[in-house]
Amino acid sequence: MARSPTLSFDRGTLILHPPPPGKAWIDYAVWDDRVERFRIPALYYRRLVEALTAEGTTLVDSAREFSPLTLVPALEMTPYPHQREALAAWIAAGRMGVVVLPTGAGKTYLAQLAMQATRRSTLIVVPTLDLMHQWYAHLLAAFPDAPVGLLGGGSHDNTAVLVATYDSAAIYAEALGNKYALVVFDECHHLPSEFTRVIAEYSLAPYRLGLTATLERSDGKHTDLQALIGPEVYRTSAAALSGTVLAAHRIVHLTVKLSQSERQRYDALIDTRNRFLQDHGIRLGSLTGWQAFVKASARSRAGRSAMLAHREARAIAFGTAGKLRVLADLLAQHAGARTLVFTDDNAMVYRVSREFLLPAITHKTAVKERHDILQRFRTGEYPVIVTSRVLNEGVDVPEASVAVVLSGTGSQREYVQRLGRILRRGEGKLAVLYEVIAEATSEEQLSRRRRPSTAVKPYRQLDLLESELLAAEGGEETCYQPTC
Amino acid sequence: MLPADLLIQRYQGEEVIPKRLPCSADNLAIAAELIALFRAATGGTRADLQAQLQVLEGEETDYRMKRGLAHLLESAFSTFEMRSLIDPVMLRQRVFALSAQSVPGPQSSATTVAAVAETLSRELEQDVSPEQIRAWLYADLPEQQLLTSFDEPTPAALIERYNLSQAQGVLYRASHVVITAHRNDPGEYKLLFRYGKLFGLMAYIEGDADHGFTLTIDGPTSLFTPSTRYGLALAKLLPALLHVTRWSLTATLVPRRLSPYTPSVARFRLDADCGLVTHYPPGKVHDSMLEQAFAERWSHTNTPWRLEREVDLIPIPGSVMVPDFRLVHPDGRSFLLEIVGYWRPEYLRKKFAQVRRAGRHDLILAISERLNLERAGVKTADLPARVVWFKDRVLPKAVLEVLGE
Repeated sequence: MARSPTLSFDRGTLILHPPPPGKAWIDYAVWDDRVERFRIPALYYRRLVEALTAEGTTLVDSAREFSPLTLVPALEMTPYPHQREALAAWIAAGRMGVVVLPTGAGKTYLAQLAMQATRRSTLIVVPTLDLMHQWYAHLLAAFPDAPVGLLGGGSHDNTAVLVATYDSAAIYAEALGNKYALVVFDECHHLPSEFTRVIAEYSLAPYRLGLTATLERSDGKHTDLQALIGPEVYRTSAAALSGTVLAAHRIVHLTVKLSQSERQRYDALIDTRNRFLQDHGIRLGSLTGWQAFVKASARSRAGRSAMLAHREARAIAFGTAGKLRVLADLLAQHAGARTLVFTDDNAMVYRVSREFLLPAITHKTAVKERHDILQRFRTGEYPVIVTSRVLNEGVDVPEASVAVVLSGTGSQREYVQRLGRILRRGEGKLAVLYEVIAEATSEEQLSRRRRPSTAVKPYRQLDLLESELLAAEGGEETCYQPTC
Repeated sequence: MLPADLLIQRYQGEEVIPKRLPCSADNLAIAAELIALFRAATGGTRADLQAQLQVLEGEETDYRMKRGLAHLLESAFSTFEMRSLIDPVMLRQRVFALSAQSVPGPQSSATTVAAVAETLSRELEQDVSPEQIRAWLYADLPEQQLLTSFDEPTPAALIERYNLSQAQGVLYRASHVVITAHRNDPGEYKLLFRYGKLFGLMAYIEGDADHGFTLTIDGPTSLFTPSTRYGLALAKLLPALLHVTRWSLTATLVPRRLSPYTPSVARFRLDADCGLVTHYPPGKVHDSMLEQAFAERWSHTNTPWRLEREVDLIPIPGSVMVPDFRLVHPDGRSFLLEIVGYWRPEYLRKKFAQVRRAGRHDLILAISERLNLERAGVKTADLPARVVWFKDRVLPKAVLEVLGE
């Protein structure tokens, strides 16, 4: 008696043996001499099974290891119309596809609705540890009886609902591939990169949901999402959603002078660097200029010292003691107010944390501790937290009314997303953003670049904020002189 | 191994040539200096160590080489541990909760730390100072960990490891490698395949024991599209390959496009004379005493049949069988000999299934009479192999009898 064709999973691929009658499967299969079997990319699982079923082939499916899951929501809200429409569009497309929603439009809740509608083991892939925390917190609240776990950020759980970072999910793609029926790709524009695309390619998940605010990639690879997740099934713009709650806010720019000795050291370092740049005809300020500097600095001793001087000068400008004095003053002024302190690098975060004894969050903080810190921040037990860039991409930190930016990079997007952190919440609350910069250093130019100009249109997902920002442009400018 | 940013390589046409440090007096001196620095830093924090390394790096342009050597010392020869009397996560919770009671600032910080030190002194019944509290607060950060032991290499061994790591680094971008294993005796293939399997790699094998083999090595999904997914595994395989006697390797690379001059396809070649030194321990010469004793007895037997060790590879779907011995007669006849001694039932079942799938007719199995094959569910009657039964030792005479001598 001939054995029934059996489909099995092998490290991100499917093996079909013995070959079934009919022709439908041949389009997907490749003969593998190494195992003397037909091998099929896991990504084609659904199409293959559908094709075989349509031909009436009996198939023993030992490939999939995912299971039905009872998901009883403990957290239910009336979905916004755009959430309802997006869910319906995704289901109508066979539960495979990408939904484009602006930041803050409630994509986590949309994913919860998709999980409730699908009721199968679910993998959620996120780009940052902070988003990982946010999803984890939400899923714990939404499905208190479901097994929710984490992969990445210091955890390695093996649960029917799993939140993973893109990096960890890519590393373990071969092992995760047949365990989940639904995969949710948060900020799915990250997926098509060479390293992470295997999460989708090595997975047989028949149901896939991509979520993003900015689908388009500069390398054009977003078109791959069609094959990796499915077609774009729904899109709505920020403008269409305007009227969402936004707190009014103002921006205060504080300029701190370097101390006498810091000033002298800074000037000497910049002088060293500039002499080298002049001798070599390099002009900073453009990307090519900077690349030329990096190249030249690897070629000679003088170049290397110029680069080291540049770095130390940057550190003086960013990490000046004066900023910490200003911070102490601001924290005293806003004692008790929910406050976020942002710095540009981890060293500064830990310096502030040690000197002021404030809880810190960086990319090194384990997700469970991060969850605990944000929980205490929410309840008010910790009124102030200090963090580096890690809270950047679309993370909800509720009820912060003061933000202090101690330094930053020149990226406009980052700047506005940081703003969004406090702008997004609280009804009728007046939020204040302080930007503390050092006077007459290269950093001041960074700050100028960071403020969106009226000529340059900010990122699409931030349309919500544009009018507020224009109003803020005329906000107060204070020159802050440390008293000591 | 080295992170991608510490790899140094150049192109010669489509050929990639990794950095190779000669064991010159200069380089040995640099290695010795770094080793001495690590030795002196034992007991201190990683942050201290890194600060010293930065000073040593200085303003020289060879800093990437030094950084690479230091990376290897740190990752392969050093052990770091956290030192704190109390779990830092718990300590932070206590400190920050107390600190939140007052307006943050340098003065209130001092008061908070002193208060926590006092409570902990009482709880732990030993003196805890405010300085200790500050030191333990982030004791779990990698840079606060202490270098507790340093397994010191010689300067030459460090440079050998560096050269190996640079060669391994080229393979990060490999889509597959083709290894030509020339006629080898002993072949030492078992270790190579054991590691290959461990790292999730697959091999396509062509050739025979007299002319050598061509092994194409990549992974399951390479069948559909070549990718660098298995590059890291291939890099980890290289030290195992270095145990094989005579071979040459060609890796097909997908280079990162750094400039318009970077070719879209590149190659990397290496052979047994490359001079690279493995740090993987060698496989045992013989898998068991039985095999070793048999080889010894054979060497004292007067017969034209020559005994070769681990020279043949029998591809089996999804795997490979490396028979223990091969017997060659000057007239060209040859047989493969596999000794089956004392093993677990699963192993026996697998071994006999392999023999059946091998489809070879020149196999001789020497099987111990002590094995309970019935109970392992193995039938010897329909085996496509000649069988020599033995009690305690495999005698050359019994094997020669089966050969018809």
